[in-house]
Amino acid sequence: MKLEADRPPLLEVRNLSVRYLAKGGPMTIVRDVSFDLRRGEILGIIGESGAGKSTLGNAIIGLLDPNFEPPEGEIRLNGKAVVNGREREALRGRKIASVFQDHTASLDPLMTVGSQLAETILATGRKASRKQAQALAIELMGRVGIQDPERRFISYPHQLSGGQRQRVVIAMALAGSPEIIVADEPTSALDTTIQMQILRLLRRLVDEEMVSIVLVTHDMGVISEIADRVLVMKDGQVVEEDTTSSVLETPKNSYTRSLLAAVPRLRISDARQAKHHEEHERAPILLVEGVSKAFSTSGMRFLGRRSEKFALQNVSLRLARGAVAGIVGESGSGKTTIGRIVAGLETANAGSIVLDRAKYDVSLRGSKNGLLGRVQMIFQDPASSLNPRMTISEALVESVRFGLKARSENKVPGVEAMMDRIGLSKNLLNRYPHQLSGGQKQRVCIARALLAGPGIVIADEPTSALDVSVQSEIIALLRECVMEQNLSMLFISHDLAVVQDICDFVYIMKDGRVEDSGPSRSIFAQSDNPYTHSLIEARPRRFIQ
Amino acid sequence: MTNVILGRFLQAFLLLLVMSLIGFIGIHSAGNPVYNIVNVETASAEDIREATIALGLDQPLWVQYVRFLENVGTGNFGTSYIYHLPAFGLLLSKLPATFELAFLAMLPAAPIGTGLGLLAGRHPGSILDGLILRSSVFALSIPSFWLSMMLILLGAIFTGWFPSGGRGETLSFLGQNWSFLTLDGLRHLALPVLALAIPNIALIARLARSGTVEVERLDFTRFCRAKGLSPSRILFRHTLPNISIPIVTIVGLQFGGMLAFAVVVESIFAWPGIGKLLIDSIQLLDRPVVMATLTFVSAVFVLLNALVDITYSILDPRVRVSV
Repeated sequence: MKLEADRPPLLEVRNLSVRYLAKGGPMTIVRDVSFDLRRGEILGIIGESGAGKSTLGNAIIGLLDPNFEPPEGEIRLNGKAVVNGREREALRGRKIASVFQDHTASLDPLMTVGSQLAETILATGRKASRKQAQALAIELMGRVGIQDPERRFISYPHQLSGGQRQRVVIAMALAGSPEIIVADEPTSALDTTIQMQILRLLRRLVDEEMVSIVLVTHDMGVISEIADRVLVMKDGQVVEEDTTSSVLETPKNSYTRSLLAAVPRLRISDARQAKHHEEHERAPILLVEGVSKAFSTSGMRFLGRRSEKFALQNVSLRLARGAVAGIVGESGSGKTTIGRIVAGLETANAGSIVLDRAKYDVSLRGSKNGLLGRVQMIFQDPASSLNPRMTISEALVESVRFGLKARSENKVPGVEAMMDRIGLSKNLLNRYPHQLSGGQKQRVCIARALLAGPGIVIADEPTSALDVSVQSEIIALLRECVMEQNLSMLFISHDLAVVQDICDFVYIMKDGRVEDSGPSRSIFAQSDNPYTHSLIEARPRRFIQ
Repeated sequence: MTNVILGRFLQAFLLLLVMSLIGFIGIHSAGNPVYNIVNVETASAEDIREATIALGLDQPLWVQYVRFLENVGTGNFGTSYIYHLPAFGLLLSKLPATFELAFLAMLPAAPIGTGLGLLAGRHPGSILDGLILRSSVFALSIPSFWLSMMLILLGAIFTGWFPSGGRGETLSFLGQNWSFLTLDGLRHLALPVLALAIPNIALIARLARSGTVEVERLDFTRFCRAKGLSPSRILFRHTLPNISIPIVTIVGLQFGGMLAFAVVVESIFAWPGIGKLLIDSIQLLDRPVVMATLTFVSAVFVLLNALVDITYSILDPRVRVSV
């Protein structure tokens, strides 16, 4: 420890600026950023999209895209300035390693994970034979918590689960025994329960293996769980830097305060009971009964045995008129599939759907059974759910003219009135989707769904692709629409806090079944279902009340 | 797995049947072969009628087709009207010439094309990339008869390095005559091989380039750089396998195409191959030979496609699961 005080910080970044060569001249993405990374600490860099946090991370690894100017300022590793060029390349993987967000895209799909790991070990300059590299790789896989590493060594990436893949990626980062790991959103593509396991693994590595981590993320929850210190970034600049506990408890900057306020909190303590049951008792607008769906197996089947695998098994849901029912689950739970079946976008093998007292045949597609159009969807990614070649006005008018209401000749609220309702300026009507921000696009998607005059609306992770501050605005807008227009909505999400925030009743799905259900106020406090508990435990403790 | 193979066989069988029907009707509509067989100036109406009956051409078309199928079932494609030799044997005697030509053209074309594509795709927009792209457009757009004649002009007439046509000396191997086994034969092969290889190099290079540009943008190549791998290792060990599926497909298809339809090059270089046999037989309305050739070509394509699919599953572990 005495020694530590004399040595320079592991990584010193001084007055770093990075410019992007845009068409209209260079754009500053990172502006005059300075910070230190100490040995054995996790430094969190948090910010919303466009804050420059990933660019900062890439500048540290030395992997900026060619359309960036070489960064200005200084990066010192162990007191020695890091210059670009050959020397820089030699640091990569050996001194500074990295972990990316998308574990699937990070791995070569055509090579076994073991070979990829062994190749990294050999490339990062360790003197080892192929055999030794293999043994080292298996040892590394064990160290990052992969069960049965000898067997996993010969697996291809697609044969592993998301969590295992991200562990492999982390093992590769460790292969060259680096001093620093730059982790860019390492858990954002993972389910909540897996996310927490990976975070604990990172913390353990820092504590046991003497690496330091620069953790780039948009998620306050991730920061609150494992970071020692935090850098809050906005528009390329650092607006606040402090220890994690001071930032969370006594934020000095107003932007930090607004970021913290926007984080959805799971409420467990104030489990007010009884009062909310009545809403669920009201007459249902949607009844889903015993819906099952087997995985479709393609190809000729005249010789093979049919294996029974279910995407959905006996799923029943009930949505009261004017209420919001939430469906929560991790990836593979079937929450999206049931939403798509209710919308008439997919078929099921068994079960029934009653919408507005009319029964629909779930074994037919929506265009045949008449469901299509009666249910409107709001999707996760607003960017890809709007036609890029149609203006906002065209998209909305199409919804009015060809939606169900127009067919029944009821009066339709005008497009302009709707723009007002969703809080967008009428000037945007003649714009194209790419000229709008993510939040604005999602508002347009909501407007488009409402204008079609649906019986119910299904929102499938409508906020997951958005920044936290925008997320809370969209949730507020959805809640207002439900209240004002007596709308009924199925709200699908992986986030317990968001679901609790907007829903009256919650269904928790796992492996194609409804695992647990109850009124949203009380379910998380009162349920004795072990899976519900594991979901709650996987949430950052600081954001549970 | 057995389902897949069984399905494949069924598919191939149906394909061959449809192909033969189309070919049969096509060659029937092209004209009456009798007039190519009898001497039109001296033959009497009686002679022509006798020849027609002898060839079975007096029967309705569907009867002729059923007879053809019956014969094929016993492995007999009939006797050539012109050469008076078994049609399938005639085809087999031309096969080595075409096969060695197509094989020797694809052998360098695949690696050279892929290599050029990788080079170009690594730095899109660079001078090298532009050069490779432009010359590939040029190589693809010149007609093959012009390319063949230019090669003869340069390689045979001006310099006299290579002969301008024919197979040269051949050596017997496995009961067939092969040119590539003799030095003289190889000299005869050089120009037609080049004429066939150049457009293929260009095609494969363009395919490899676009694949490389796409793969190098993906996260895992970026991650490979972050891991500290050398650029050449990333290129050959990671990018190359990931771009190889479309390349394998096109190599398979082009190889099949060269076996059957290298007519222009074979004609210009007086190369006695299958393409030339097919065109000559169509002109002479030599139905047995045309049918034998078409059936053979269809079978070759089915076989090549199966080989391509097997290669897929070797290259891509994700394909293996679904097969």
